[in-house]
Amino acid sequence: MSNKPIPHAKSAAEWIEKEDHYTFHDERLWDMRQKRDEQMHLLPEWQDLREQASRLKEHTLAHLPHYLEQFEENARRNGIHVHWARDGAEHNRIVESLLKKHNKTSIIKSKSMITDECEMREYLEPRGYSVTETDLGERIQQLDGQMPSHVVVPAVQKLTGDVAQLFAKYYDTDPASDDPHELAEAQRIAARPALLTGDTGMTGGNFLVAETGTFVVCTNEGNADLSANLPDLHIATLGIERLIPRMADLGVFIRLLSRSALGSPITQYTTHFRKPKKGGEMHVILVDNGRSDRLAMDDFWSSLKCIRCGACMNTCPVYRRSGGQSYGAVYSGPIGAIIDPTFNAKKFSTLPFASTMNGSCTNVCPVKINIHDQLYKWRQVLAERHEIPFVKRALMKMAGRLLAQPALYRLSISGAEVALKTVPRFALYNYFNQWGKHRELPHPVKETFHSWYKKNRLNKEKGAEKEETEA
Amino acid sequence: MKIGLFIPCYIDAFYPKTGIATLELLEKLGQNAEYPMDQTCCGQPMANSGCSPDAKMTEELFVRNFAKYDVIVAPSGSCVHHVRDHFDAMEQTADVRHVRQNTYELVEFLHDVLKVRDFPWAEFPHRVGLHNSCATLRSLRTASMSELGEPFFSKPKTLLSAVKGISFATPKRPDECCGFGGTYSVTEEAVSAKMGLDKVTDHHEAGAEYIVSADTSCMMHQQGCAERNGVPIRFIHIAEILNGAKA
Amino acid sequence: MSDGMNMTARDAIFAKLREHKSPQEDAYPLPPVAVFGDCDASPERFAKNLAQMGGKLLPRKPGESIAHVIDAAFPARQNLCTAVPEVEGTLRIEDLEDHYQANKVDVMVVRAAFGIAEVGGIFLSEVELKEHLADVHLAQHLVVLLSQAELTGNMHTAYRDRSEFKTAGYGVVMSGPSATADIQGVLIRGAQGVRSLSVIWD
Ligand code: SF4
Repeated sequence: MSNKPIPHAKSAAEWIEKEDHYTFHDERLWDMRQKRDEQMHLLPEWQDLREQASRLKEHTLAHLPHYLEQFEENARRNGIHVHWARDGAEHNRIVESLLKKHNKTSIIKSKSMITDECEMREYLEPRGYSVTETDLGERIQQLDGQMPSHVVVPAVQKLTGDVAQLFAKYYDTDPASDDPHELAEAQRIAARPALLTGDTGMTGGNFLVAETGTFVVCTNEGNADLSANLPDLHIATLGIERLIPRMADLGVFIRLLSRSALGSPITQYTTHFRKPKKGGEMHVILVDNGRSDRLAMDDFWSSLKCIRCGACMNTCPVYRRSGGQSYGAVYSGPIGAIIDPTFNAKKFSTLPFASTMNGSCTNVCPVKINIHDQLYKWRQVLAERHEIPFVKRALMKMAGRLLAQPALYRLSISGAEVALKTVPRFALYNYFNQWGKHRELPHPVKETFHSWYKKNRLNKEKGAEKEETEA
Repeated sequence: MKIGLFIPCYIDAFYPKTGIATLELLEKLGQNAEYPMDQTCCGQPMANSGCSPDAKMTEELFVRNFAKYDVIVAPSGSCVHHVRDHFDAMEQTADVRHVRQNTYELVEFLHDVLKVRDFPWAEFPHRVGLHNSCATLRSLRTASMSELGEPFFSKPKTLLSAVKGISFATPKRPDECCGFGGTYSVTEEAVSAKMGLDKVTDHHEAGAEYIVSADTSCMMHQQGCAERNGVPIRFIHIAEILNGAKA
Repeated sequence: MSDGMNMTARDAIFAKLREHKSPQEDAYPLPPVAVFGDCDASPERFAKNLAQMGGKLLPRKPGESIAHVIDAAFPARQNLCTAVPEVEGTLRIEDLEDHYQANKVDVMVVRAAFGIAEVGGIFLSEVELKEHLADVHLAQHLVVLLSQAELTGNMHTAYRDRSEFKTAGYGVVMSGPSATADIQGVLIRGAQGVRSLSVIWD
């Protein structure tokens, strides 16, 4: 993996130029946010739900080893094989060993962010295994060789025409099609044979219920229930943070999840797997991959409460206007910006700065993660670790010194030269010049407030003349 | 009650009339307000860039300048948010705590502390779009937030409603951030400017002649975007309207 | 199996979790189970939400047979596969030989264990599906028999009161048919699973 910082600003600037994509993307996600608001207004208990969800998650994370053991014990008792993976590579090796042992070669897979996080396809495909994404959006991204753009709607950055072009190549459909129904039908038709012949089903999962050893998968297309149940081997991958204590707690999360995500009361399918099907085998791989490290971070552990609803992305004015691909990560948007740096602080050092810190993400989050506070804290952490550009750091150092010295500061804004020892002039100039690329500068005025006050208040204390308000 | 007036650096340098209006308004309301001459900035630009240690000396200067006042008032929501919520880099002395607890944004000071509801001198016969900065909205909580579904309230609107002749335009996305975001406006200038343009377009299409706000920094950015793209809309700080500006 | 390796991974993960957890256990007690909001379990509420989720309620006249209701709703259907004694159909779910045969089913009839009014959802498990877990999703259309006596109010009451969640090996709450909005945000009902989901009160 390259360590170069993701050029979010640059990619976003390019995205903005694609005007039809830009407009659709912004409006589509804003519409999802509006639909979420409608659902919130229908439920007077909305804030109670958020509070309860947050407390349940905090409790579970604070007692994670206990609940993991409880889950494992119950799942094993029900005949589920439970595996543990410290990281993505270990996860992928476990999957491979299961395939080998059962002599399997073709995986039909429903959408799961965590297998993308583990880069499982990249591992398995060169080793001769086929991995077919069966979720429409995820399949589109797979065919296009891209990471998911959004945790809930993976291909939201594409227009119908883009999908038509892509499907024409792989499914032999009309490249000029502008009918989403026709294209979705093409996916249904293409997926059926793959589903019927695939020898291994893989799913992710939204929740692990410790009390019963159940894992829960929330989907809309029906592909997860097909992928999991058609073959005799079902492998499910979940992060260790997905736990909740009791079955009776699940209602809180199911009620929040799809309402926050899409503004629908529930996903079309809410599926509870507790035992392998008759004659089948079921494996659950519990993945750490940095989660235990995150749980040890005082300022950032609560990001593990995330239930991946994507509401923070939908509401984020920056995400809506920059597109998921610009984040260069499996997880994009506000939640991506606070968890990606835990995977690689250098590579994702730009993401906490890809925010105005307006705070709307925190308010929509169904589990009350203080996302914008964590963005602020990440900035401090990254600056401390020297993961922000040199020019910016130097500039801030200089600004800090200047602004702490009133006399020098007054001198500098009155137009006199200030010694800029630390930063080369051209770098500084470029930095400030950014303002003017797409915006006018503020208009110069005759005098500062400071000098007005001196003239009109300090020097006029003798008389009490009224000032003329400047027109 | 002795008021220390904080006029942020960009108001001082580019929008002095906002500072003047703030001072005059407080005087009209019979308040004793004073502008300490050694003030510069609240430290926000450095801290928001992650460089809290570099903000520390500036923040200490702020405390030295203002600790002697009973309250500190500033016509800028984002600065007040910084003072109140992010003055963490320095030792939390009694002075620091006093300053953090007693710094008010102008609208909340008028609305909550002075509880002013009448501005008999104010008349503004225009249709305005109200821009609540994210700091006033989500940190200072001077208006209700659409994401929380809470009952509607708006302190700036309550104050403006006392102004003769004023009417309000309602943009489609009233709570949407305008994209200024402090240093964000330069680190991601393209997205920032696009957000600004979307914002002013929304207000313009809703029929606003003016955008009015308690935050000059947002308006400086929005004005830059409007002017570059020829969106015919004007900008005015809420202090100026409440102080009696006619246009 | 790679048990040895996995034990190591397990131990390593637990060791880390036990050693460095930031949130302290005492600070985060387990909140009691909560039941919020509208617990109305009426058929009307169920029907309204079923419709919102894209499902249909098939009207049934007093005394009308279920088979008749289905025939009226699906005049063109050929293969009618049934998992219920009330409907004969063209084949029984127990007799499906393989998934390819299920793939040709036009209409599948099942009985739901219960319904959830808040989301117009119905619950199916291996019991109702006679272990044919995938086949129900391969059919083109799904018809669900549901007793009004088996309605629960909302998701809280469902998880609290319905023991099926703790006993079923596979349990799915289906709220309407399969759907997607993955292409330019256009909502399409009938994605990869059933194209339609209809409920008949019985
Ligand atoms: S951080 Fe919150 S809003 Fe964002 S995806 Fe996670 S749960 Fe949803």
